Amino acid sequence: MQEGGRGQARPPIGIAFEGDLGQRIDAVLAIALLNGFAAKTEARSIALTISRPSLKSAQFTEVLARFYSPRPAMIGVPEGAVPANDEPVLAKALSEKNAEGAPRYTSTIKRLLDTPDNAVLIRNNLLAQHDGNARIVTAGPATGVARLLALYGARPQIQAKVERLVMTAGSFPGGPPDPAIAADVASARKIFTDWPTPIVVVGAEIGEALPYPGASIEKDFTWSQAHPVADAYRAAKPMPYDAPAPALAAMLYAVKPDETYFKVSDPGTLSVSNDGRVRFAPAADGKHRYLIVDAAQKDKVLEIYTAMVSAKPAPGPGRGRGGAELESEP
Amino acid sequence: MILTGKSLPRRTFLKGVGAAVALPFLDAMVPALAAPARAAKVPNRLAFLYVPNGIDMRNWNIATEGVITGELPRILKPIEAFRNDFIQLGNLTHNSGRALLDGAGDHGRCSGSYLTGIQVKKTTVDIKASISCDQIIANKIGHETRFASLELGMDDSRQAGDCDSGYSCAYTNNLAWRSETQPLPPILDPRVLFERLFGTGVVLSPEQAERQARYRRSILDFVTGDTKKLQSSLGPTDRRKLEEYLSSIREVERQLEKAETESVQIDPGIDKPYGVPPDFAEHFKLMSDMMVIAFQADLTRVMTFMMTREGTSRAYREIGIADGHHPCTHHQGKTDLMEKVTQINEYHTKQLAGFLQKLKDHQEGDSNLLDNSMIIYGAGLSDGNRHLHEDLPTLLIGRGGGYFKPGRRVIFRRETPMTNFHLTLMDRMGVPTEQFGDATGPLDPAEFS
Repeated sequence: MQEGGRGQARPPIGIAFEGDLGQRIDAVLAIALLNGFAAKTEARSIALTISRPSLKSAQFTEVLARFYSPRPAMIGVPEGAVPANDEPVLAKALSEKNAEGAPRYTSTIKRLLDTPDNAVLIRNNLLAQHDGNARIVTAGPATGVARLLALYGARPQIQAKVERLVMTAGSFPGGPPDPAIAADVASARKIFTDWPTPIVVVGAEIGEALPYPGASIEKDFTWSQAHPVADAYRAAKPMPYDAPAPALAAMLYAVKPDETYFKVSDPGTLSVSNDGRVRFAPAADGKHRYLIVDAAQKDKVLEIYTAMVSAKPAPGPGRGRGGAELESEP
Repeated sequence: MILTGKSLPRRTFLKGVGAAVALPFLDAMVPALAAPARAAKVPNRLAFLYVPNGIDMRNWNIATEGVITGELPRILKPIEAFRNDFIQLGNLTHNSGRALLDGAGDHGRCSGSYLTGIQVKKTTVDIKASISCDQIIANKIGHETRFASLELGMDDSRQAGDCDSGYSCAYTNNLAWRSETQPLPPILDPRVLFERLFGTGVVLSPEQAERQARYRRSILDFVTGDTKKLQSSLGPTDRRKLEEYLSSIREVERQLEKAETESVQIDPGIDKPYGVPPDFAEHFKLMSDMMVIAFQADLTRVMTFMMTREGTSRAYREIGIADGHHPCTHHQGKTDLMEKVTQINEYHTKQLAGFLQKLKDHQEGDSNLLDNSMIIYGAGLSDGNRHLHEDLPTLLIGRGGGYFKPGRRVIFRRETPMTNFHLTLMDRMGVPTEQFGDATGPLDPAEFS
């Protein structure tokens, strides 16, 4: 998470990701995609946080993080009561057993106290990045980034460190209310009004146009006997299915914004209606844009999706194995 | 001293030529017909006792949460008698102690940020930190006592030079900062501290001090007249309290004389201030005895005490450890070095026990001095081998005037800023502060009640 010293060369872009993992499988895929690029040293995962108080999401995210890197991982979680029926999809994936009947994945997170507050974790890790060398990607309610923005002294730090914020939100040019935005309209408004650096939003239509191909799950992940991404994908819905994946598009854009995988709208200003609809008003001096599907790039994007989401971790001890095996490592 | 027949003013001094001895809290200071709330009002005190190079966390953290039951970890065993007087706090973090692009220098950063809560500037020249939380308190309530705060230490008070990978010694050797560029160097010499507490404020040269010591009389001799006058007006309980208090001052004087004699006899060329005992335990006892007196007599309510400077390579030959403390902490898993670290940590808490006992022995109304204090004992690193800045070893000892319910281990969420704890302490000292360092808000009071 720490970059090299101030005088040293800039490392690859650092991505902080906050997702609603239990509610949308594309958030899981987005973390895998980020790690695919990290294995090629084209990006770094600097903070992983989840959008709602959920122990299962935290545990699963930690399993994912440790699948790709043997370094201890802190997973940021917002304060609040963990619901009784905590993210059944992830609970199902976490309950998978290996051939010996032992848990396939284990997490060091046993309770909320084992996790940091999501806003604090992002803030702390942003401070370890070179100016302009971090981007934040969100796929869920805007609560976490709004709280980050509200932390004392955070605004100038965000301005210095975060080159842009990429959010999954709404549908463009127009569409129905976004449930994630509707879950916390006030926070979304706060972000669209006060966030100090450019914002690019990724609408649901991108996810529909570029779904993750379910067939990939059965053929591209077999290199690992236990792959948490594949297990979560299977647990989310009856197979086979192609998963709408705006979070994946958001992550790909955040890692490679200068590539021509997507088109980007002219600048404008985003606003939110009371029911959670996200509206875009063109404005020459606006700081907001939205992503647009480029039909000519569709095959290329899907190819990158499957290659990066199923990529092996960078070589190293303990990588690409189940959490249970990683547990005993120093 | 003027006795009026009314209640005795809280800030009464026994005065003599070149001496001013403040009094401890006496029953005579409470108005006879005072309302119970007023009568019970005793000030809260705050002291930070800092140990360097982290602590062996395997032998520090209490295994269970909540009320402390069962055997204490090894490093806490020396303070077993106080198990119901402290709270062990878990997961407090100083993010500003981490590298954050500044590379090596965790020792310089961790002590620099410990009470300031900010990332200090990596430099040996134009130092920059921030006002420390103890000084925020001192600025607000310091006018109520003779000294707004006292800064003490036992190791090194150099303020210049490179003490850690490009970090000024000002960061490793000070805890208290009056402003972002002005650290408050600790007093290391017990004699200097004594003169500060009871003398005219003039610091003598070693030669002058030695000459004076040959002819020295007890400071109490100079205030005999006032003492007798006061004793005649006190009840039996207050008379006993006063005698105990004056005896404790006399005891410190004796220790000082002994230390000064030994200092001259044992090693005249030693590079230590005049009167600094060569033995760590003796030095600690002198300093901490005077801390008790300073609290007892309400000379100050805020103290910082750097037991040894951050990054110190002091050897502890007193307990058979000839290796430097700092090299031992970089044990890389070698069991013999790890054992030495544990022994040094234990040795420190053994000294702490004596200090706590003296605080507890001093009655204040229905409670005692420890109950009316917040003694923070801890370090700016947890694992010194890996230079970790999270889960910083922290004890809150005392009840803070009844606010805290000790005898427990309380674990907060990971990455909880240490500065949140500072906000809580500032609040308890009557100096509520909205923002400090990277704080996100005071610690949840529910965790302490």
